[in-house]
Amino acid sequence: MIRMFLSGFACLGFIALSAMFLIWWERKISAIIQNRMGPMLTGFHGTLQPIADTIKLLLKEDIAPAGIDFLSWWLAPFFVTVPVVTAFVVIPFSSSWVPYDLNVGVLYICSITSICVLGIFMAGWGSNNKYSLLGGMRSAAQIISYEVPLLLSVLLVVMESGTLSMQGIVHAQEHGWFVFKPHLAIAFVIYLISSTAEVNRVPFDIPEAESELVAGYHTEYTGMKFAMFFVAEYTNMFIVSATAATLFLGGWQGPFLPGVAWFLMKSYFLVFFMMWMRWTLPRVRMDQMMSFAWKLLTPIALLNLLISGWFMLKV
Amino acid sequence: MQDLVFYFIAGCACVFAVLAVTQRSIFHCALWLAMTLLSVAGVYFYLEAPFLGAIQILVYVGGIITLFVFAIKLTAHIEDKSIRQLNTQWLPAALISLLLFYILIQAFASHPWKNIIPNAPVTSLQVIGRSLMTGYALPFEFMSVILLGALVGAIVIGKVKK
Repeated sequence: MIRMFLSGFACLGFIALSAMFLIWWERKISAIIQNRMGPMLTGFHGTLQPIADTIKLLLKEDIAPAGIDFLSWWLAPFFVTVPVVTAFVVIPFSSSWVPYDLNVGVLYICSITSICVLGIFMAGWGSNNKYSLLGGMRSAAQIISYEVPLLLSVLLVVMESGTLSMQGIVHAQEHGWFVFKPHLAIAFVIYLISSTAEVNRVPFDIPEAESELVAGYHTEYTGMKFAMFFVAEYTNMFIVSATAATLFLGGWQGPFLPGVAWFLMKSYFLVFFMMWMRWTLPRVRMDQMMSFAWKLLTPIALLNLLISGWFMLKV
Repeated sequence: MQDLVFYFIAGCACVFAVLAVTQRSIFHCALWLAMTLLSVAGVYFYLEAPFLGAIQILVYVGGIITLFVFAIKLTAHIEDKSIRQLNTQWLPAALISLLLFYILIQAFASHPWKNIIPNAPVTSLQVIGRSLMTGYALPFEFMSVILLGALVGAIVIGKVKK
């Protein structure tokens, strides 16, 4: 019981710290890629900037625009944040550091993060703003579409390891990471692309495309409500990266260093990869994005599943 | 303590279910329905059936409710205040529902539950998969044919006539 509460508090602390660190890191990476300095004034190389930003967001007035649908508008930030936080239940930080090793861990993560769609749609609907509504609609369509190749690529990992438990999948990679097997390498690429779309990042950030939709579904939010969307986005990035690290890159396994260090290094490298893509690639169009998911990614994932299933039966 | 958790989740499910059918705005109804289904998933998790709980969330909340919301958004005037919540057959429907409720209560009350609760069967994924492919192969295939039929039907209806 006490252990449960302690691991819960540890996870909450980790989420807050990680989100703050990632926001600073994203600004620094974007600055380096664009040959700028980024935040420099608050603390050494701007390290205290996220704390200043947090205080600013806490002090801001919480404005409710006229004509909103109060229930959806008020509940939406929670619908986006809570599923992301609950996904931490099954993340294995090391061989012993896992809040609760569910025997259906992978399925749990995929299902619990799918609730976010509803939150994004509620935000879009409740804000009484055409940009928000368009952003919410686009986001829902995008997340549903990219969930198909995502689940198909995760399914391949489950077939290879024969278990749905996160720890079980890590243990199945003791003699080599899954990413080094050819069919799972394809699945890894598919997972990376579709998870980038799942968390609404460039090149798939159509729901909040600022040049056409202001800020998409969170246009009307201010103060802490906006901060919750922000934290949810960065935590979701960490969750998909941590899942990818667990499923394909051997999780906490690695020589010399303790498991936690390896796990965090792999996860944050994948987060860095997402940021790198964001500041390198242009945004794709809505129709291009949808046809990419349905006409290219899903058939490749299905074919991959079929061929590797056939090989697994034969060998 | 453990019972309190169950009563809390079950109570939530009941309250949300009532809200899902009494709210005026159909979008709110869909949201409360989502909350109800989430609470039911919570009951599954509480009863140590995480597979069922995860599938419940993935299929109902992630899939079906999202489709509901899309349908509501794409249907013109469905959010209007003038739309009636009851149709002409509300009285017989209410009577039949009450009768069904009575029968269910009788059925549950006459069943000796206490012997079952302590040994909840630990169903692993392998067991579920094996039974789907052996003992329940026919219903499983039947379901997939029905879903395929619905899929093809939706495409035929949605296709723009030239």
